[in-house]
Amino acid sequence: MSTPLLTRTEAPSPAPVRAERSTWARARDASANQLFLVPVALVFIVLLVIPLTQTFYWSFTDFTGYSADVKFVGLSNYHKVLTDPSMLAGLGFTLAYTIGTAVLITACAIPLAVVLNKKFFGRNFVRSVFFFPAIPSIAILGLVWGYILSPLGSGVLNSVLQSLFHAGPYPWLSDDTLARLSVIVVAVWGGAGWHAMLYLAYLQSIPADYYEVATIDGASARQQFFHLTLPLLTPAIVISNFLLMTGGLKVFDLPFTLTKGGPGYSTYTITQSIITSGVAQGRYGLASALAVLFTFAVALVAVAQLWASRRIERRVL
Amino acid sequence: MRLRRTLAAVAAVALALPLAACGGSSGSSGSSDGKLTFFSWDGQDTMKPVIDKFQQENPGIKIEFSNAPPVAEYISTLQSRILSGTAADVFAIAAENKTNLINGKHVVDLKDKPFLKNVPKFNQTTYGGQDGAVYGLSVASWGAGVLYNKDLLAKAGANAIPQTWDEFLALCHKLKNAGVTPYLESVQAMSTPLAAFLGAESAADGNSMDSKIFDGSAKFKDYWVEPLTQWSRLWTEGLVTPAVVGLTGDQVRTEFANGKVAMMIAGPWDIPGVRKAAPKLKIEMAPIPGIAGRPAYLAGAASPGYAINSKAKNPAAAEKFLAYLDTPEAMALYQKATGAITVTTDFQPALDPALQPIVKDVRAGNIYLPQIAWKRAEDILNVEATAQLQLLVQGKATPEQVATALDTKLASTS
Amino acid sequence: MKQRRSPITSVVMIALACLVGVPLYYIVVNTFKTQQEMAKSPLALPTSLFLDNYQRIFETVPLGRSFLNTLVVTIAALLVQLFVGSTAAYAMAMRASRFNRIFGALLLLGFIVPGQSTLIPLYRLLVGAELVDTLRGLVIIYSGGAIFCYFLIQAYISRLPFEIIEAARIDGAGPFQIYWRIVLPLIRPILVTVGIFQTMGIWNDFITPNVFLSSPEKSTLVLQVYRSVGEFSTDWPAFMTMSVLVLVPMVVFFVLTQRHIVSGLLAGSVKS
Repeated sequence: MSTPLLTRTEAPSPAPVRAERSTWARARDASANQLFLVPVALVFIVLLVIPLTQTFYWSFTDFTGYSADVKFVGLSNYHKVLTDPSMLAGLGFTLAYTIGTAVLITACAIPLAVVLNKKFFGRNFVRSVFFFPAIPSIAILGLVWGYILSPLGSGVLNSVLQSLFHAGPYPWLSDDTLARLSVIVVAVWGGAGWHAMLYLAYLQSIPADYYEVATIDGASARQQFFHLTLPLLTPAIVISNFLLMTGGLKVFDLPFTLTKGGPGYSTYTITQSIITSGVAQGRYGLASALAVLFTFAVALVAVAQLWASRRIERRVL
Repeated sequence: MRLRRTLAAVAAVALALPLAACGGSSGSSGSSDGKLTFFSWDGQDTMKPVIDKFQQENPGIKIEFSNAPPVAEYISTLQSRILSGTAADVFAIAAENKTNLINGKHVVDLKDKPFLKNVPKFNQTTYGGQDGAVYGLSVASWGAGVLYNKDLLAKAGANAIPQTWDEFLALCHKLKNAGVTPYLESVQAMSTPLAAFLGAESAADGNSMDSKIFDGSAKFKDYWVEPLTQWSRLWTEGLVTPAVVGLTGDQVRTEFANGKVAMMIAGPWDIPGVRKAAPKLKIEMAPIPGIAGRPAYLAGAASPGYAINSKAKNPAAAEKFLAYLDTPEAMALYQKATGAITVTTDFQPALDPALQPIVKDVRAGNIYLPQIAWKRAEDILNVEATAQLQLLVQGKATPEQVATALDTKLASTS
Repeated sequence: MKQRRSPITSVVMIALACLVGVPLYYIVVNTFKTQQEMAKSPLALPTSLFLDNYQRIFETVPLGRSFLNTLVVTIAALLVQLFVGSTAAYAMAMRASRFNRIFGALLLLGFIVPGQSTLIPLYRLLVGAELVDTLRGLVIIYSGGAIFCYFLIQAYISRLPFEIIEAARIDGAGPFQIYWRIVLPLIRPILVTVGIFQTMGIWNDFITPNVFLSSPEKSTLVLQVYRSVGEFSTDWPAFMTMSVLVLVPMVVFFVLTQRHIVSGLLAGSVKS
């Protein structure tokens, strides 16, 4: 935002935006407006409600995934899910992963976005490099990180540490704690740039003159970041974290390619349980029950998170 | 708005091109024998020569080929297609889906078909059912053992391949003292040495070990504790790093090819990779040395078989195709493309000389893999076993605890 | 606010980018190596310009057809997603009735449901509609991404200066005109961002085409790559080469579009 072309006359305070929103809520041509919701309602019903209903139904049956001939088995799938320790073996790591990645990615992505929004030599290159970890297939990334984090002395990271500090070799992916940490770090590597792009977009909705006024008022760059940028990014933070939380709770492929869920069950995830029981073990009814319970649990977390963030948003703005 | 205009132009061109191309391809429905659909486990490059030759000899049949990479993607894709009645006429039956396919009656019994004559009993029973039913035509097997870097062995003054596990461990000590990393195996799935120990045990027991475990007359604990104890000596005696639980087979192979480790667990699929990465290495494969006076043995299994969909739209052509697949002519093409150890009795595969010491046993079916030999809950037990083995390697579980965990798991699934 | 082009920022950020880019470098550099060379020294520069990996793939894998398929699917799905997502976000922002708020909350289910658990029902649905194994069917499945677009766009719209829209309304513009003439240009940065995200997602998706497409001639690029992998399963340089070939169009696309993320609001409000 080097050239502040935008010259608005009103006071650059974010408050009026909210006030006017309620004016718009009293829109007079409501029915024409609701027409705009028809496409998304179609998508919602066809691609979500119908399949979910089916999954819900299957969760009460002995469905194997191979034949639509099913027997009703009542709540026994739910009973099994809640009593079989290995079905929930992934709960601990799934939670740790979700919280860890959400916090770390947010902490990296916001400053990154602010910097990438400035003009500097090589910006396009830096943007591309940070964004691109999100792109290649997880199979390749798993392979490459496997070599980097190899617990042997010949691993890339271990040989660097050896030559620089004469330390190691460290068992990056073969020690419970280190494996969990490694998976989270790789996830942060893969996600920080993507979320920074998200923040970068939302930074554009902050009018440049807010900053002008702040500069005239003598606010330092630090003060501007904490008192202007951060509060105005709240909607973006809510969204980014919502995506991180729901995505984190559903995570499967990254830990799986890096560690196959091991050592032991230390990086096992809930979704891995769903997939293994549904596909490899032909216990689709059981997998459906787990999926239903899981959906409710994630929904609870999501609602709680949105509720909390709305309160924070209100306090900030 | 330049961007929008460019995008619109690209979109228009992109949408128009394939539509134009579609016009030509619609009239492809051929002659009377018609179309045979084939959903394969192997890639197109592997199967193409075989399919081309078959079509040449059966001009009436046109094979529509599709495939998915094994294992998970293949299984799930086939699953949804069978459920919806859109599965191909011929597809692969694998250890991972055979129970569901057979119990759901989705595959045809091939029992008395003449083309099964040259297939060994072992491969037939792997995909067999009750009353001698056979649901898959499996034409190859694999066996895994130890791959030796003979140069490194010689460097440490060892020139004989060990015959017993004690000798093997002694060799490990010797290599270690000579400053060579003796041995690596990836412990992210069922362990090969462990499977081989159990296989030798089962063979000595008249192949009744797993029947007994699954009918309740014996427990995992009765058979598994000794093999687990012997296998875990690799770590309790400090010969191998516990870091192997975080290693993939690929990483192990790279270490081996770079001459950084003297012995590794390998299957036939590892040989071409090692040869390409290290053409000059002197290598030899051998079965896993035996424990408790038992002979050396191999871990391994029959390859996925070709099965006929019980709702096949063209069952006659499907049968013709299967009959062609295990002719010496087709086997030659298939073997050349895959390098697999084929098992049909009327064709001798041309294999890498390093594999010689194991070929006879693999073709005879003297191989064992627990998750294939198990009678039910195979994948549930396998997932549990893998996790437990990793704990054992890390010193967080004892052999008794591992075996007991499997017994508990089995009990919970009945 | 005047911004200086700080050389320190450049140095720090480029150094950081190089560190973050190591795995990407690893992928690209190994496409120019033999398996032997990769095993020996995966991080070193290739000793000679080795192009066999690329040559072999161009000769054995039919990339042209699958490239076109992918292009068609990606563009069609993207247009649907952006249209559905932006109309929904617009409607929600204009009318915050109780119904709309509840519906908006329900849409969040799209993020919450594990994708694996709807795969089989969706497949059966497409089989019923005779759309399985067609590119159209694939586009329909991808249109589910509209909910993601909606979510991101909606949060963006809620930050817009509504006085512009108010002014247009006083001038007598109807909802459709406001949507097309005013809202769409204003939300360009988020449209471009969401567009980039979704393009990457669709272009690289493997799971959906693998389940929904069976005919080889309808294969998408990624599907083609993975289906050829069987042969290359231990030949990582070849696999990486194919991945790089799939990614090249995305790199070009990203470099061309990312500068549009900046400057949306400025351009939009100046026009009004």
